[in-house]
Amino acid sequence: MSAPATPRVVAVLDGTCVGVDRRARALAGFLRDGLRIGKDAGAAAEAVTLAFYADSGARDSLVELAPTRDVRLIRAPEFRPDLMSGALTAFEAGGGAELFVFPGGPLGAELAARLAVRSAGSALTDVQGAAAGPAGLVCRRAVYSNHLTGRFELRARPWCITLDAGWYDARIEPASEHSVRADVELSAEESSAAAALRHVELLEPPETGDLEAAKFLIVAGRGAGSRGGVERIAAAAARMGAAFGVTRPVAMNAWAPAGRQIGVSGTRAAPVVCLVAGASGAPAFLWGVERAGFIAAVDTDEHAAIVHEADAAVVDDAVAVVEALADIVARERQS
Amino acid sequence: MDQLRIVVGFKVTPDYEALRPADWARAGDDAADGPEASPGGRPGGPETRFVRRILGVFDEAALELALRLRDARAERGLQTSLAAFSVAGRVADSFLKTLLALGYERAARVEAGAALDFAPGATAALVAGGAQRLGGDVLLLGSRCGPGDSGVVPFLVAEALGRPCLTQVTEIAPADRGRLRVTFTADAGPVRAIVSTPCVLAVGNAVVSMLRVPTLKDRLATREQPVVAFSAADLGVDVTEELDREPAALVGLETIDRGRAGVIVGGATPADKARALYETHLRARLERL
Repeated sequence: MSAPATPRVVAVLDGTCVGVDRRARALAGFLRDGLRIGKDAGAAAEAVTLAFYADSGARDSLVELAPTRDVRLIRAPEFRPDLMSGALTAFEAGGGAELFVFPGGPLGAELAARLAVRSAGSALTDVQGAAAGPAGLVCRRAVYSNHLTGRFELRARPWCITLDAGWYDARIEPASEHSVRADVELSAEESSAAAALRHVELLEPPETGDLEAAKFLIVAGRGAGSRGGVERIAAAAARMGAAFGVTRPVAMNAWAPAGRQIGVSGTRAAPVVCLVAGASGAPAFLWGVERAGFIAAVDTDEHAAIVHEADAAVVDDAVAVVEALADIVARERQS
Repeated sequence: MDQLRIVVGFKVTPDYEALRPADWARAGDDAADGPEASPGGRPGGPETRFVRRILGVFDEAALELALRLRDARAERGLQTSLAAFSVAGRVADSFLKTLLALGYERAARVEAGAALDFAPGATAALVAGGAQRLGGDVLLLGSRCGPGDSGVVPFLVAEALGRPCLTQVTEIAPADRGRLRVTFTADAGPVRAIVSTPCVLAVGNAVVSMLRVPTLKDRLATREQPVVAFSAADLGVDVTEELDREPAALVGLETIDRGRAGVIVGGATPADKARALYETHLRARLERL
């Protein structure tokens, strides 16, 4: 089956930087499970991937990762969202599409917002699911700092949406075969914004792999009381063989490195067991641990949100309980 | 460039963390006594009239980063002018007076004449208009703010102004020839680059996140300094028209049920409670890891 000349859905895949495999899986997962438009759920059958790449050596592997059979390739320099925006606008003007889907992240938000403005469409970020509505595309996303879910109706087409980070967990195999329909090269001189960014230097990212992969995670919040309290919880976590994270207030107080942060502003973990010590349970934090298999909480306030958002809770001093728990776990391991 | 003009746009928001779980349960459409639709026809959300107002988290960081950039440039003998504005109307006045005391030379509020929640297009039109009126080389914004947390306002503003935009900015330092050395978080990870002006910088999860506190002396010295007021019409923006053509509309709100039991573990001492937590809930789970 050949692709339609005007695809209804365009998945935009940035292959110019690391993490393209996760972004490709997120797009594939959303097209298969998160999108309900048309009579059937098979929107992906009419979808095309618009994939950007910077290095010709990465071209073939990018094609293999594409979430749809039909692929259109665009070669663009790194860190040039202006050129990408221009290419997307030209693509839209050249045939149009109902829906552009971008993975979550800063680049996706910029491309979606700029494309929506330039094509008189509508943009929405962090979408958790989308379906056809009476007057447009109805999307769900978190609002009010993750306290509520909002339903939004996108009326003006094209609809330009970015995906919630949850879709990065999708375990979807890429399409088994691909057909490259076009291969375009963008020149670095095509935009007056070319001089805006110079001497781009990639910095060493904070090491968060242990938090993302942790099976047992202990998170310290401001209820630890001080840097010393946080350090005591960290030491107890080490004795129990648990990974150690902190809430945003702890990181902002410089009681622990920023790279240890759990939540919307940090890492989203998915441990089997999570012990939250001295955190009130703000939704922006809960987002980082809500995929845990079991959540235990320790807090002095029995009315704190975390007490109701955990599977089990202890109402007491966080440092004292975690250290006592570490003693128990250590004794059990010795016996 | 010896003189750099920085304009910071900020948002004032209810402190949503001050609301109780029951307040949020009532705010969903599915609650029996759920929210009334607002005059504009969209769901009203939780009752926040009596909740204290705070700066948006990232907006507060942007305001402090601007002060630090001014200080760093001063150490190099470079001049910097600072202006701040908000589209929050009169509720922003107390924050604007604080900013004047901290050394912002101009402070302005924009009277939108309508609620701008969940209206990123109308918000961006007013922010772009305010930034143009105040005339900055660098426009600093927070990358997102509640209740909508749309994350697109800086890009919509940049599009309206025809400027490049960097988001998730965490550090800003002076560079040569009036340019800036900006650290930001991209999809590839943390990045540092030299940025030319004019530009829009949207601040994200910066380590510097708290606005400094002015002294009483500074407050007294600037108490007569006015907060300038602009109407939307002054900025050439028809808010009603902008709201009418807002391309994405909020049509419903739902509570989030995370489905946890919230069982309280009892005991007389921390050690007793730790033992009960371990035996009842953790032992088997940890042994299976």
